[in-house]
Amino acid sequence: MPQAIAKPTTWSAFMLTLKRDLLIAFKRKNDIVNPFMFFVIVISLFPLAISPDGDKLAEIAAGVIWIAVLLSAMLSMDSLFRADFEDGSLEMLLLSPHPLFFLVLAKNIAHWLVSGLPVVIASPLLAYMLKLPSESYVTLMLTLLVGTPTLSLIGSIAVALTVGLGSRGLILAVITLPFSVPVLIFGTLAVQASASGLPTGGYLTLLLAILAASLSLAPLTSAAALRISVS
Amino acid sequence: MWVWFAKLGSPKWFYELSTKWLPWLVVATVVVIGTATVWALLFLPPDYQQGYTSRILVVHVAVAGTSLAFFPLMAVAGTITLVWKMKLADMVAKNAAALGAWFSFITLATGSIWGSVSWGTWWEWSDSRLVSMLFQFFLLLGVVSLRSALEESDKAAKACALLSIVGCINVVVIKYSVEWWNTLHQPASPVSIESGSANGPEFWIATALMILGVYLFLSLSLILSTRNEILMRERRSLWVQELMSTEK
Repeated sequence: MPQAIAKPTTWSAFMLTLKRDLLIAFKRKNDIVNPFMFFVIVISLFPLAISPDGDKLAEIAAGVIWIAVLLSAMLSMDSLFRADFEDGSLEMLLLSPHPLFFLVLAKNIAHWLVSGLPVVIASPLLAYMLKLPSESYVTLMLTLLVGTPTLSLIGSIAVALTVGLGSRGLILAVITLPFSVPVLIFGTLAVQASASGLPTGGYLTLLLAILAASLSLAPLTSAAALRISVS
Repeated sequence: MWVWFAKLGSPKWFYELSTKWLPWLVVATVVVIGTATVWALLFLPPDYQQGYTSRILVVHVAVAGTSLAFFPLMAVAGTITLVWKMKLADMVAKNAAALGAWFSFITLATGSIWGSVSWGTWWEWSDSRLVSMLFQFFLLLGVVSLRSALEESDKAAKACALLSIVGCINVVVIKYSVEWWNTLHQPASPVSIESGSANGPEFWIATALMILGVYLFLSLSLILSTRNEILMRERRSLWVQELMSTEK
């Protein structure tokens, strides 16, 4: 039925973009596996560089995991729009009659599912290796569960602004890393609070507030940024 | 009113008007900054605790206060660029980013010099103002590097405008989160710039004069660099070529 394909609803366009991105991600595993391996390797380097002493490691564990998350998120963000920009399908997205920010949101969600979620799932294992007190595991996972999508959403603005540039690894870092300061602060504070038996609800609520704000504003901004850089 | 608004967007009009104003602005800047500097560095009485090092605070406070104006300025200019596509706003925004980075750097440097004597350390993570100023510096450098990476000037203008607006919001968020991080780590930080307020009124008058002077300096450098930018971007237009041939 050609008519049915020619006039998809916005919701089906959203789902199609999501499916397409997930499919591409599974066909091109390097883009997912390498940032994840980077995350694991960076964390395993810290005990070698600092000390194998469990007490010292436990003290820095939350910070190390969060910094590694930030860096690997930044590396994986690089592939968010690049392939689509190179093969021209990004222009198709821009030309589509559906609201661009909605499709950008779909791309963000797909990207988070393949790059953010593995990090969240693997975090207790790495936390154990860094001797984080076991009562903090749940808080660490919760903060990462709320924090990683926020990082993806904020990062996508910078990626969209620099999508046309040839070598942009470093400029992406310079723009996005300062932006992720609030997430880093509340994420590590929550984990540290839970390690000393303090309530963590306040930090999680703040992280959720930042997520809510970026979920509603970042796709709009990224869409505007894409229209600027692809024109 | 709209005629005036449209005129403001014309680089030629701005160039001609600023040519008339420039000598007055230069005189005012030199007089105010000169008076404030001489007063602050030679005549201000030494603080009973900090000694003569309190004099650098006159410069520090003025530059720090002024450096906070850059992100709002760039966000407003960015909005004008995105909404009305006014060329002049982008020329101002372009130079404001680099100038703002310099102001933040001078704030950090003068603060460190003062801190090295008064606090006994060049850098202190437990003061939230230091940390948020550092990140404002990084964010401004981000805008500068985005501008230099995007060569095409129309695209760079819009991209930097968007980044300035997002950055302006972010500076505020960072400021509050760093403050919270700080108060939770080190409650009631004993070191604070407010401790200098025990100084007499001379100190604050000199500082107020210096703030005025630094704002004058800011407008002067923005106007001068915008004039350069106008000549660069409009070099193919008739009025710039006429101007250049008469000046030769």
